[in-house]
Amino acid sequence: MRTSLIALVLLALAALYPLAFPHLLSIAIFFLILAGWATAWDILGGWTGQTSLGHAAFVGLGSYTLAILANRYGLAPWWGALSGMALAALLAWIWGKLTFKLRGPYFTLSTIAIAEILRLVAIEEKWLTQGAEGVFIFSLEQPFGFDLFDRQVEYYAALLYLVLVLLLVGWLVQGKFGYQMRAVREDEEAAQAAGINPERVKLIAFMLSGALTALGAAIYAVFLSYLEPHDIFFLPLSVQIALTAIIGGRGTLFGPLTGALLLVGAGEVFRNTFAEANLLIYGILIVLVVLFLPRGLIGAWRYRAIRRRYARSAQR
Amino acid sequence: MQEALNADGVVVQFGGLTAVNRVSLKLGKGEIQGLIGPNGAGKTTLFNALTGYVRLHQGSVKLFGDDITHLPPYARARRGLGRTFQIERPFEELTVLENALIPAFLKTERRQQAEARAWQVLEQVGLADRAQQPSADLNLARRRRLELAKALALEPRVLFLDELMAGLNPPALADMIAFVRGLSETGLAILMVEHIMKAIVELCDHVIVLAFGEKISEGTPEAVTADPRVIEAYLGGAGAAGEESPGSADEPTNETGES
Amino acid sequence: MEVFVAFLQNLSGGILIGGVYALVGAGLTLVFGVMRVINFAHGEFLAIGMYLAFIMHSSLGLDPFLAMLLALPFGFLFALGLERLILSHLIDAPEDSTLLATLGLALILSNTLLLLFGAEPKTLYVPYATATLRLGALTLSLPLLLAGGIAILIIIGLSLFLNFTEQGRAIRATSQNRLGAELVGINTRAIHGLVFGIGTVAAMASGFILMPMLFAIPDIGPGFTLKAFVVTVLGGMGNIAGAIGGGLLLGIVEVLGASYLSSGYRDAYGLLAFLLVLLLRPEGLFGRTVQRV
Repeated sequence: MRTSLIALVLLALAALYPLAFPHLLSIAIFFLILAGWATAWDILGGWTGQTSLGHAAFVGLGSYTLAILANRYGLAPWWGALSGMALAALLAWIWGKLTFKLRGPYFTLSTIAIAEILRLVAIEEKWLTQGAEGVFIFSLEQPFGFDLFDRQVEYYAALLYLVLVLLLVGWLVQGKFGYQMRAVREDEEAAQAAGINPERVKLIAFMLSGALTALGAAIYAVFLSYLEPHDIFFLPLSVQIALTAIIGGRGTLFGPLTGALLLVGAGEVFRNTFAEANLLIYGILIVLVVLFLPRGLIGAWRYRAIRRRYARSAQR
Repeated sequence: MQEALNADGVVVQFGGLTAVNRVSLKLGKGEIQGLIGPNGAGKTTLFNALTGYVRLHQGSVKLFGDDITHLPPYARARRGLGRTFQIERPFEELTVLENALIPAFLKTERRQQAEARAWQVLEQVGLADRAQQPSADLNLARRRRLELAKALALEPRVLFLDELMAGLNPPALADMIAFVRGLSETGLAILMVEHIMKAIVELCDHVIVLAFGEKISEGTPEAVTADPRVIEAYLGGAGAAGEESPGSADEPTNETGES
Repeated sequence: MEVFVAFLQNLSGGILIGGVYALVGAGLTLVFGVMRVINFAHGEFLAIGMYLAFIMHSSLGLDPFLAMLLALPFGFLFALGLERLILSHLIDAPEDSTLLATLGLALILSNTLLLLFGAEPKTLYVPYATATLRLGALTLSLPLLLAGGIAILIIIGLSLFLNFTEQGRAIRATSQNRLGAELVGINTRAIHGLVFGIGTVAAMASGFILMPMLFAIPDIGPGFTLKAFVVTVLGGMGNIAGAIGGGLLLGIVEVLGASYLSSGYRDAYGLLAFLLVLLLRPEGLFGRTVQRV
């Protein structure tokens, strides 16, 4: 199929990227991780229709878990990452159980509140997180002799992460659960009439979304090698992840990735003009998207493509 | 023989208002029952209580002998209680096929099987040629048929139809009536809320009349439409005269179905 | 006795800051009640108020309370323009849309402030910044007293406006039933503009009021937006009088929690209250009880 071919070509290009641009790896790593986060966010936000503005909590959880386990107990980073994922799934389950009775914007507000509380916990509970001082990751085990602090290694780890998330989501959405998610998004009561338990679907989606976000966060932690609650658990990071997916196109496989490409790219282009105000671009774009392209870039494209395809087939 | 559906002494209250007051009904396999009454009589509330969308305060509901009184709507759907909604609720961002696919997944994990079932149901209601059309683009009559297809894709044993006939022009109405008759002949037990008397008279074996939340009459369509209490309820109280009175066989034609 | 005085001291501080929170919340709850819009940019207008107070003080030497009176009409017009430009197009759009649009607006405003003023905190020194007033055994900070007092006055004015004027009646009608209001001849589009303007002005006024006591940084907005949400939920969406109760409650909970439990979690107490109310009593503490299914 055409999409698969394009995807393979892009993958090949991505694999060769570090050889072509060895000095532009950091921005690429951030792009890959953000794309992965946005695609993971979209499992809950786009496919299941529950807008979370608290995903930075999972980023914090994933990165701090790896850091603390590595520093205190010398645990290898892959165990740290898996632990982070498990904790994230647990957090998502508890969180969802509490708040999924809230609909729409109220649910979104509650995600902000909960993520904010968790940020305060991360800052206050110094015995665990060293509070505002932050955590350095000093040394990590080397899998197969690869130095995890080497940017090239991190790049491939991040690329692998993005590909994994895309494959997982791609597989998920064409099966039974994927359709159950869509039904819950479209109309919960009609979904019930079709035999679907909305709470269960939302919980599973949230757990997957959180766990995959935490996985990317583990890579992010190694990439940064120094963690501060202020940066990691930050509301703006939650907003950044959500808006990346929404601008690119919620509920589409490649929408969040496209969003990340656009926004990280634009951020780089305008870096000299805007410096720290890079979220300004997010602000302008989301207002434009809401007014003119409510389904996001890829979403708008898909909307028209489906109708074109039907019109053509109906004419025969 | 075990009834398909047995509702006993159902009471639904909203704050101080009793919307449904001790209503009982029995529905047998292959039977079509009608539920009529003037506006505000509690028909849709009763429907919603039986399907689980509204809590009942007293009484019980049994599906083929299983007590489903406190089960959430999805659990009832899983046990074979299908329903349509009065205002159609398609999954708008999805195509017609995908809409039918979702309930079809109830009985299987595999996409292939669910798709086969979905196609089957779409053929049955006559929407197979529109399978790839976005469901948001359908006209009323087709949306109505999709609503029906979604309920049928569940392979229900009991089917609740909420004003399925409203707004259909005469040819579409005749088609729909014939279709529903065909369904009951396969053994499906059907309960229909209706204002369109033609459908009630032609389809129902048994009719229940509600007014102010209470059952005021039941029997064959002929008996019920001749019952003075029923006429009084429609004309002398909350009901509007004319198209809703039980004696008339007129149908409103406010939207064009297709031919 | 000492403990009791300290308690009263804390309590009074909480009440006064609560007054300001009430004003911030009142603006948001009005916008939500009438327009059904969750205005994520609410706190940014407060930030704009703070920065305006700063500029007008450093360049014109104006006392913030005076500057406020001069600046608010312009703030109103600005908000009106934003409503016309962005929000009015989204009236019938899906639920998420206005939330995302105001979120975008918040990002635009806060980052513009960052570009214009830089990240360093800006402070404003009024001559009475450290003045205090003695009330029996209590020592009250004068700026805080002024802040709380003026905030309450503004809210009372707002309440009077809503309940006793023609426009106020039109606003209340629109909040209860937009279609019905249209049918009786109320121009609901104009009402939406008016209400957004009032809500925004309430936030800006709060910024002016708070400037003598805080310092201005470009990302101070979201914290106050969140507080406004807390007040709105506590008091009941759309309930101005409830916002007063909600604001006072938030102020008291924060100060007492910070003094007697842990000061680091100061903001968390309000957030916890917010979550509890949202989950258990969504109509707010002061709203009419809603039948639960």
